[in-house]
Amino acid sequence: MSWLNDNVMLKTQIIKKRREFDVNVSLELSKGSSLGLFGASGAGKSTVLACIAGIEEPDDGYVKLGDRELFPPSLPLHKRLIGYLTQEPGLFPHLRVSENVSFGIPNELATDKEQARWIETLRDRLQLAPLWHAPASLISGGQARRVALARMLARKPPLVLLDEPFAGLDRQLVRELIDDLIFWSRTLGFSMIAVDHQAEVLKRLCPEQAIVLENGKIVQRGGWDELHRDPATALLRSLLTPL
Amino acid sequence: MRVDRRWLARAGATVFALALLYPFTALFARVGPWQWGEDVRGPALSSVRVSLLLTGCAMVIIVALGTPVAAYIARCGTRERLLWQAVLLVPILLPPLALGILLTLAFGPYGTVGAWLEHFGVVMTNSAAAFVSTQVYVGMGYYVLGAVAAFDAVPLMLQKQAALLGLAPWKVFLRVTLPLSRLGLAVALSIAWVRAIGEFGAVVVTAYYPSGMPVQLWVNLQSFGLPAVMPLLVVFLAVALPLPWLVHVLAQRQRHA
Repeated sequence: MSWLNDNVMLKTQIIKKRREFDVNVSLELSKGSSLGLFGASGAGKSTVLACIAGIEEPDDGYVKLGDRELFPPSLPLHKRLIGYLTQEPGLFPHLRVSENVSFGIPNELATDKEQARWIETLRDRLQLAPLWHAPASLISGGQARRVALARMLARKPPLVLLDEPFAGLDRQLVRELIDDLIFWSRTLGFSMIAVDHQAEVLKRLCPEQAIVLENGKIVQRGGWDELHRDPATALLRSLLTPL
Repeated sequence: MRVDRRWLARAGATVFALALLYPFTALFARVGPWQWGEDVRGPALSSVRVSLLLTGCAMVIIVALGTPVAAYIARCGTRERLLWQAVLLVPILLPPLALGILLTLAFGPYGTVGAWLEHFGVVMTNSAAAFVSTQVYVGMGYYVLGAVAAFDAVPLMLQKQAALLGLAPWKVFLRVTLPLSRLGLAVALSIAWVRAIGEFGAVVVTAYYPSGMPVQLWVNLQSFGLPAVMPLLVVFLAVALPLPWLVHVLAQRQRHA
């Protein structure tokens, strides 16, 4: 991917008008690093991710991935090469698990041996073999998250966006999925932005740095230790306090 | 005594079905011995061929033109969508006879388009082309409005997810939108088929010949009376029902596959 020759992977400013407040967030992400977007529910975290992914269009600002401008003008979704996982696994219910995982693999590569090995690796590493031929509509919620993760990784995206993909899962499964994501981020070297309102999840996924949002604006950025030591707002202090 | 709710619902549905099918008891009315002699059978079987073949052609045109239009409308904003829906409702709302008259005036030899088509040898009255085009006008609105509803039912997020996985819009349509909307499309197609194959009012004006089944029913009624209508009515049901029903069966099967 020749357009990823810069050390800065993502550079963006998202300006998006919302009914309650305007979201205005600038951030930069270097190649292979991770960033946690932290804040209370409704702070605008998901809006920022959706705008970077292209699911929503910003009202103003810019999104630059490597040397490529994703916005403005808005680059079509299929040309963005961004992995995007949300609370809803969004599996294609009419397809089998195997077809879901290899969904994003271009037809001309489907018969490629190396490609087939890669899909098998994903299948085995994410423990999908027992349900490989099952219809996606018949698997459990936890299994669906694994399949969604495998499907996203199959294309080896250079940037992965995670919008609370572990919501509603039990702790054991969350732990396993986080371990999987960390393993694959190291193996594939993708950059990652994760959104969650649970600090412990974000700290494990994105231990290096975090940005805290309140009402669509950044109120603090830095390492997790710094956020704990000197939280910029009372709300952040409350969010970081264990129950 | 406790009555299972399912049985109550089933009993209610049965009463509904019986009421819906009640008019068909008239098939057993005393109208005299049914006529199925050569003078009735020949034209009747010819009308079956005409109806099946030409309605089939009309359906191909309706699906080929209507599906992309429906896909476009499903993505339109509210205002534009309402405009499109009004356009589609116009031919549906018109009394069929009025639609037939308008089609004859517009596409007949005295209309601009009709004269132009005749110049190329396409006759738009009392011809197969007239028959098919009338059925297209009659059925298109039903198909497109149904197809729009079917496309609306496919979660937009799934389509966006497919695009993020690298699929160009037309591939998303073929691999996600179309398969997930097939049941709704099947319903839309079967309604268009039933509407078109049973059309009389418009077709009798634009294409008395070649006679399809509804026109032949009218001819039989005029020429021979009810005894010649009843057997053709049975044939009509026997040939018109299986196709839309089969479409439903296939769509349901794929849904539960």
